[in-house]
Amino acid sequence: MLSARPLPLNGVRVLDFTWVVAGPVATRILADQGAEVVKVERKVPPQIGDRKRGLLCELHRDKLSVAINMSHPEGVELARKLARKSDLVMDNFSARVMKAWGMDYASLAQIKPDIICISMSGLGHTGPRASYVSYGPTLQALGGYTHLMAEATEEPAGYGYSYADMAGGYTGALAALIALYHKRRTGQGQFVDLSQFEAVVSVVGPALLDIAVNDREQAPPQYNSQEGPAAPHGVYRCAPLDKDDDRWIAISVRTQGEWERFVNAIGAPPWTSDAKFQTLYLRTKNHTELDTHLARWTRERSAEDAMMILQRAKIAAGVVSNGADICARDPQLKERGYWASVTRADGEQSRVVGIPFKMSDTPASVRSIAPDVGEHTDYVLGELLGLTRAERDALIASGAVWS
Amino acid sequence: MTTPSALNGLRVLDLSTYRAHLCARLLADMGADVIKVEPPAGDAGRRIGPFYNDLPHHDRSLWFWFYNLNKRSLTLDITHPRGRELLLALARSADIVIESFAPGEIASMGLGWEQLHRINPALILLSIAPFGQTGPYRDFVADDTVITALAGMLYVNGSPGRPPVRPLGLQAYHSSSYYGAIAAMTAVLARDVTGEGNWIDLSMQEATHSAVEHVSGSYFAQGQIEPRRGTLHWSRFFRVGKCRDGYIMHCTLGDWTSLIEWVNGDGKAQDLVDAKWNDVLYRAQNAEHLFDVLDEWVKDYDRDELLERAQLLRQPYAIVRRPEALFDDEQLEERGFFAEVEHPELGRSVLYPGAPYLFNGTPWRAYRRPPLLGEHTGEILREELQIDPNEIAALRAEGVI
Repeated sequence: MLSARPLPLNGVRVLDFTWVVAGPVATRILADQGAEVVKVERKVPPQIGDRKRGLLCELHRDKLSVAINMSHPEGVELARKLARKSDLVMDNFSARVMKAWGMDYASLAQIKPDIICISMSGLGHTGPRASYVSYGPTLQALGGYTHLMAEATEEPAGYGYSYADMAGGYTGALAALIALYHKRRTGQGQFVDLSQFEAVVSVVGPALLDIAVNDREQAPPQYNSQEGPAAPHGVYRCAPLDKDDDRWIAISVRTQGEWERFVNAIGAPPWTSDAKFQTLYLRTKNHTELDTHLARWTRERSAEDAMMILQRAKIAAGVVSNGADICARDPQLKERGYWASVTRADGEQSRVVGIPFKMSDTPASVRSIAPDVGEHTDYVLGELLGLTRAERDALIASGAVWS
Repeated sequence: MTTPSALNGLRVLDLSTYRAHLCARLLADMGADVIKVEPPAGDAGRRIGPFYNDLPHHDRSLWFWFYNLNKRSLTLDITHPRGRELLLALARSADIVIESFAPGEIASMGLGWEQLHRINPALILLSIAPFGQTGPYRDFVADDTVITALAGMLYVNGSPGRPPVRPLGLQAYHSSSYYGAIAAMTAVLARDVTGEGNWIDLSMQEATHSAVEHVSGSYFAQGQIEPRRGTLHWSRFFRVGKCRDGYIMHCTLGDWTSLIEWVNGDGKAQDLVDAKWNDVLYRAQNAEHLFDVLDEWVKDYDRDELLERAQLLRQPYAIVRRPEALFDDEQLEERGFFAEVEHPELGRSVLYPGAPYLFNGTPWRAYRRPPLLGEHTGEILREELQIDPNEIAALRAEGVI
């Protein structure tokens, strides 16, 4: 859908050397908002899977792709020319890679003084572990997340996903926007040394101050609240949906007023008037018994019905949604048009995650499917760099560019 | 010469409730002037623990400290007519207003988008709500736990056959705040071109869902409902293993030849010497067996020894550390990650987790400790709104400030 309004980041160009997850998340956020993101990649990228659907499509949609051989001197020269026409150069390599190509900030600032370079390496460009190799799941292990994803036994229970990659990606996108703001006002570019490790550590939250100030060893949070005491608080098993018996509802009850509404909503069964549940302190103290009672109530109804009963009484409650709940059933996400579609070469649509915020004046939308590697080589070399067809063919013949 | 700040001159009115406090802090850390507008009784976040020395006090909540570093505090009853007028006066010169009330609530106070846009067309209003400003769940109530549930984040954490486990780090609130800061800065840059503000409708459910890597991709691409897999990452390249002295994270995406030479040298490679394991996809498909063999291999190692040797071979292994270990981490220390912030009233300084990024021109900074309740009310009313001292005294007596 074309909008009459400009997209918020129209006119911003990003030269994108990122790969795997965290870096592409950052540049995808910028691309969705209208930045022209030119992905520089190898003809055979070390990516696994299909870029035309699912996660890889979500990571690379709305971007352009040019296949430049950075092991070839003429390839590097092309990349440097592209950097001169870009506002931002983003990568998530360790320090040595961009430097070896002469694509680091110090080198690029000589040919484009106001360039912004954002390097999103695993552990940063400096320090004794700058050369450590890492991925999102290993960074959250180092950061304390994996250890605290545990049940009472403290055996690691396991993360379903890599939060470190997402935290790193958001941080990278925000860094880009802040650096752009500064550049527009002062004409100055800069270098941002983003450590994905530090990005995810910085959002551990108040627990870090509890360690720093109170010297308290942190226990796995489980359903002990991280935002003030609550009871009931946790996940409770509900009635099966068809043959699926892995159905749960999350419920949080904090204040006395909420407790009273909660008791009425579930029909005030006799156990709710037991003296041991009458204050938040007592409910927290006796939560195991409270949870057992409540689980009998939830088990008799579907997660959806339980949620509606409680939400009508203004109690925080929600289905513990699985992939089908969220992608196919959730009425809220459908109504808001959260999901996006992109069109494949065969004319079919791929469904992808959308943009989690809407702007009234300059709304953005997901526009194009993730590109084939090198799909935009003609545009990038021809229109952006002004090379003739013969010059482009010569670069392909010399192996500097993959056709 | 003082070091410049990237967001110098950007004025933010932070009306957010405690669930979105991180958002304005991300801007304050880079130099935006963030005025936190609190009810005279204090923000609810001031009553959330943990507390300094475990003694509850509105100026000693570590929760509040974490989210409000670098902000100024103005106490103002915006439900009072004069309080509302003062807020509108501040909004005239502000760039961004951030709010996370229930949808419709600020409009009912006469401070909604229409009012704000009328008095300052360039103003950006960022509204952060659990499910956004529209749709059938718009009035649903939720905390971090419930948002992670409805966002599809909670279901995939934990072991098969066991209840879903809640992650550390208030990930619904933090993901939403990051997206909020991204959206606000995007709108600021758009305004450079259009001259117009934007009303941003941010759904925490959507922001939190987009922080889950794989759930929708698997469903849309393969029709698969992602299960709980214990510590096996969905990509099947990572799993927690156990050394003699604790847990480590295996990774099979490094150079396979050198890893298997090492394991084989220890006499523990079993069938992994077979050439078929060179194929990265085969390793993923047969991850359970692969990690079982590697678990047998690492169990006689100490974690530090394993990690050092692994990293020398460029194997992306890691130790599963306790968060307390972050304070002894040489890498963080060398890069100056923790920032020492003076708290003069306590006669001491406190180590705050610091910069998520190092800007060489306009660095992240701890400009000021989190504000005491109403600490800047007088200075803001006097110096920015030119309210005379008599009126300030009257407002104080009336409980408006």
